[in-house]
This record gives sequence, C-alpha cells and structure tokens, in this order.
Amino acid sequence: MLHRRVFQFFIVYLLGIGLLFGIKLALNLSDYVIPGPTGVWHTGQAEFSRYMGDVLDTFAVAVIGQVLSILMALGVGVAGRRATWFGSFIKVAAYNVQAYPIVAIAPILFILLGDGFLTRLFIAAMICYFPLLLSVIGIMSEPVVDIEHFYRVTGRMRWQLEVKIRAFENLHKLTTVISGSATLAMAGTIVAEFIAANAGIGYSIRIALYQSDLSKILVALFIIGITLSLYQGILELLGAGLKKAWAAG
Amino acid sequence: MGPRLAFPWLAALILLCLVGNTLVAAGPVVEQEKVTYRLKWLINASTAGDVFALDQGFLSRQGLEVAVKAGGPERDAVRELELGYAQFGVASADQVIRALAKGASVVVLAQLFQVNPLQWIYRADDFSLSRIQDLAGRTVGITYGGNDETIMRALLATVGMNEHQVRLASVRYDYTPFFRNQVPIWPVYRNTQGIFLSDKLAAEGERVAFFDPFEHGVRFVANSIVTSKKMIDLHPQTVGRFTRALLAGWQAAMSPANENAVIRAVTKYDRDTSEAVMRRQLAATRQMIQPDPDIPIGHIDITAWRQTEQIMIQQRLIPGPVNVIGRLEPQQAP
Repeated sequence: MLHRRVFQFFIVYLLGIGLLFGIKLALNLSDYVIPGPTGVWHTGQAEFSRYMGDVLDTFAVAVIGQVLSILMALGVGVAGRRATWFGSFIKVAAYNVQAYPIVAIAPILFILLGDGFLTRLFIAAMICYFPLLLSVIGIMSEPVVDIEHFYRVTGRMRWQLEVKIRAFENLHKLTTVISGSATLAMAGTIVAEFIAANAGIGYSIRIALYQSDLSKILVALFIIGITLSLYQGILELLGAGLKKAWAAG
Repeated sequence: MGPRLAFPWLAALILLCLVGNTLVAAGPVVEQEKVTYRLKWLINASTAGDVFALDQGFLSRQGLEVAVKAGGPERDAVRELELGYAQFGVASADQVIRALAKGASVVVLAQLFQVNPLQWIYRADDFSLSRIQDLAGRTVGITYGGNDETIMRALLATVGMNEHQVRLASVRYDYTPFFRNQVPIWPVYRNTQGIFLSDKLAAEGERVAFFDPFEHGVRFVANSIVTSKKMIDLHPQTVGRFTRALLAGWQAAMSPANENAVIRAVTKYDRDTSEAVMRRQLAATRQMIQPDPDIPIGHIDITAWRQTEQIMIQQRLIPGPVNVIGRLEPQQAP
C-alpha cells in the first residue's frame, strides 16, 4: 500500500514536470519562465535539506491540526447523528459555517493570534475539520438496520454501541476520509504560512515566488508530495490494521 | 434597363454615397495596433502616468490600442512578455537582472522612477536614523525574498555591518507590528503606503520620518518600462511609438497643472484612496519620477543600474554578471 502510494506520486510528479519541460522545449522558453532539468536538479541539491526541514515543520503542524479536527469532528458528528432538534441544529451549523472560506478569515486570525504556531494550527484544523465533520455526520446518521435492530428489540442498545457499530461498518469510508483530510490539513497549513507565517514550506514558497524562482517551487512540491504520499499510505495501513484487529477482537 | 432593374442600382448608389460621406466626415481611418501593457502593481498614484497616457489618448494618437493591465504579487511582466501575453510591461531592476541571469530576452526602454520609492518609515519622536549605523540594535522590517531585503543588506554592507548587528523581522502587508511598535522601522513605498501610514500615525499625534537608502548611497533601481528583444527587433516602430506616447503621458501627468485630470483618471481604478490622500501621493510621486527638472522623465540611470547589478552579484542573487547595461535601450524622448 505504502510503496504503491509513493510509486503513484512519482508517476504524477514526473508527468507534471515532464509536461512543463515539454512546454519549455516547444515554446523555446527561457529558464526564467520554466527552469530546465539541470536547474531544477541543482536547486534540489542546494535546497533539499533546508526545504525538507521546512516541510517537516509544516507537516508537524498539519498532523496536530488533523488530529484535533478528527477529534472535534467525531465529537460533533456523534452528537449530531440523531434526528433530534439538537442533531439537526448541529448539521445546519456545520453546513453554514463551512460556507465561509477560511482563507478570508485567516488575516484576522493572524492579527489576533500573531503569526506563529497557533494560527497555523488553527487554520490547518479548520480547513480539514468541516469536510471531515460532514462525512462523520453522514456516516453516523445512517443506521445499520440489520445489526442495530437486534440490539434495539433486545433493549441492549446504548449510544456507545450505536456509534461503534456504525464506525465499524463504515471503517473503510472513515479511513478514506481521514486519509484524504491529511491533504487538506497540509494544504491549510501551507496556505496559512503563505499568507502570513514566518516558518514552514508555505513561507519558503512565498520567498521563492518573490525571487521568481520556479525551480525552488518545483523542489518544494516534490518534497511536499512525497511526504504526503508516505503519510497517507501509513494512515491507510493503520486503518486496515485497525479493522483487522477490531474484527478479530 | 427597366424600372424594376434600375431601382436596386439606384438604392446601392445612394447607400454608397451615404457611407462615403460618413467616412469623409470622420477623417482618415487609422487602424489601431493592439498591444498589452502589464503593470507591476495595482493601479494607484505610482502608475499615474500610465493611466493618464491611456485616458488622455496619448497612446491612441500613436495608433496604439493599449490594454493596461494591473499587476500584483503573482504577476510578472517579464514572464508575460516571453509568453506573448503582453508586449510591454513594468518591472523592477532586480526582476530584469534575475530574468537576464536565466536567459530571458528582456530590454529596458525607460526608467520610470529616478528615486526608488522603497524606504523605511519610523516614528520621528522615538529615535533618528541619520546614519546607517543608527540602525544598530534596532528591529528593522524586511520582506524576505523582496527587494527591500536586498537593499537593506546592501545598506548594512556599505558600512561593514551585518545582520547580527540589527534585528531583521519578517513583514507582510499587515501593519499591526508597526502600529504596536514591535517592528518600529517598517519598509514602505514612500509615495503610497508612506502617505497613508503618516496619516494614521498623525491621527494619533505621532510624527514620522523616512529612512531613504538613496541618501545613503544605495541606488537600487525601481520600476522601468520593459519589452522583449524580439519585439524591439521585429516591431521597432511600435516600440518607439509606445515609449514616446507613454513618456509623454507621464510628462503630462507629473505637471501640477493636470493634477485634477490625473486624479480623475486614477480614481477610475483606485476607488479606495481619497482625493486628498491621492493629491499628496501624487506630489510625492513627482519627486521620484523627476527629482531634477534637467533630467527628462524616463531617463535611464546607468550608474544606478550598474550598482544594482553589483549588489545582486555581491549578495549571490545571481551567479555572475549579466551585462545589464547592454540591455538598456532608451528610446527617443517625446
């Protein structure tokens, strides 16, 4: 699973960069518009370790943000799963709050919270929280009738059991959503860094843009992509392992 | 020819006479050549001459139909020239030199700003920056990767100081750290942001002063009009007409007699700046576009370009000399 993810990423990256080089060649563009392969290679050699540090910095914030958002989404999703007034209120609130683009609120957050760790974490968590919440609400609101019916008629149904049944029956969906939200968390952190932070790969990309240096951006994209692919692969492995252990137990 | 056949011929003849009359009344029809002009930043007082040239027909009288497009942080005129999205543009000297270092074929036609508007604002009541050494131990805002970083490092280098003797703080478009005095020396464009910030602080009873690199010997060239080598080789007449018309527009825009018309032209695009502020921005811009009446608008300051290239080599922003002087092709003044 892990090696497949990495392999797929390599294919996508090489196709993308190959397309760029193809355009450069076809239109006879200078290295200022699209850098050549040697330029990208040399930049990679010069900047790899620094950018790797930046990506890991961003990644750490993204993972913490993602964990927080998973916990929040599970909490609110479980509370909002019922067809009660409160449940429907939670759903409406989630749909409405999602309508506000977080990047529009980001500058206000930076003014209030400063341009450090907290703001990046908050934005990362908020960007991946809402899609997660909607998926969790969707999964948790859908009864698994065959199984739940038995516990209901025997009077043994408790809310914890209900959540457990629905989570287990939709574990594959949940794993996919959580794995996908890693991308959102990373993108959220990068956007936050790009807007106002003073650390992380988003900040470095911004500096590279100021310097009109596309080579640096291509190197940064490579490291971001490979890191995310590894992380998503690991999440999927964990999901598969969890399902196995749960089924055995 | 029967009456049935004669009627269409008669009608056609009348129509021809009418069209011919209209054409004669309108004067000679000159086909307008379409070109695109990409600015470096959003339209404000810094682009007064560009929009005035368009608004007052300086460009159209030269047979040019020009689409003036606002710039921005993600816009790069030099790239657009090469990709054919624009035929002319505004670029800063560091952009031009970086592009030349990477093989781009860009040519400088005229230098708009004789004085770089990039300066540092500070509260005049707190301290004074009359020498570069006065920066020692203070927190100075810079945009990492921006040309203010390059200029500040060049300033420090001229007196043998390094970044350990000042505290460099990364800044963006949010002025909160300056208002809170966390970063008391803040980079601004003197003729636009400088006016706005002065007003804000004046409202709080605070006086401001500006630290101008130009006064301390660093002449880092700002915005210039650029085109591609291909354009100048294939369409030299168009390049000449464009540059002359644009510089004539700038000349007229910088005349205090035309101030009201210039403000009307700029306000069409910049609706957020009040007229009073824009008047002061224009006054500051005049001092930077033509600080010396003996030097024509658009004059290319070769010494400053040479110094800019040297600074970029010293700071390893480019791997080696690019002979930028060879890419300065001033056009005939209007």
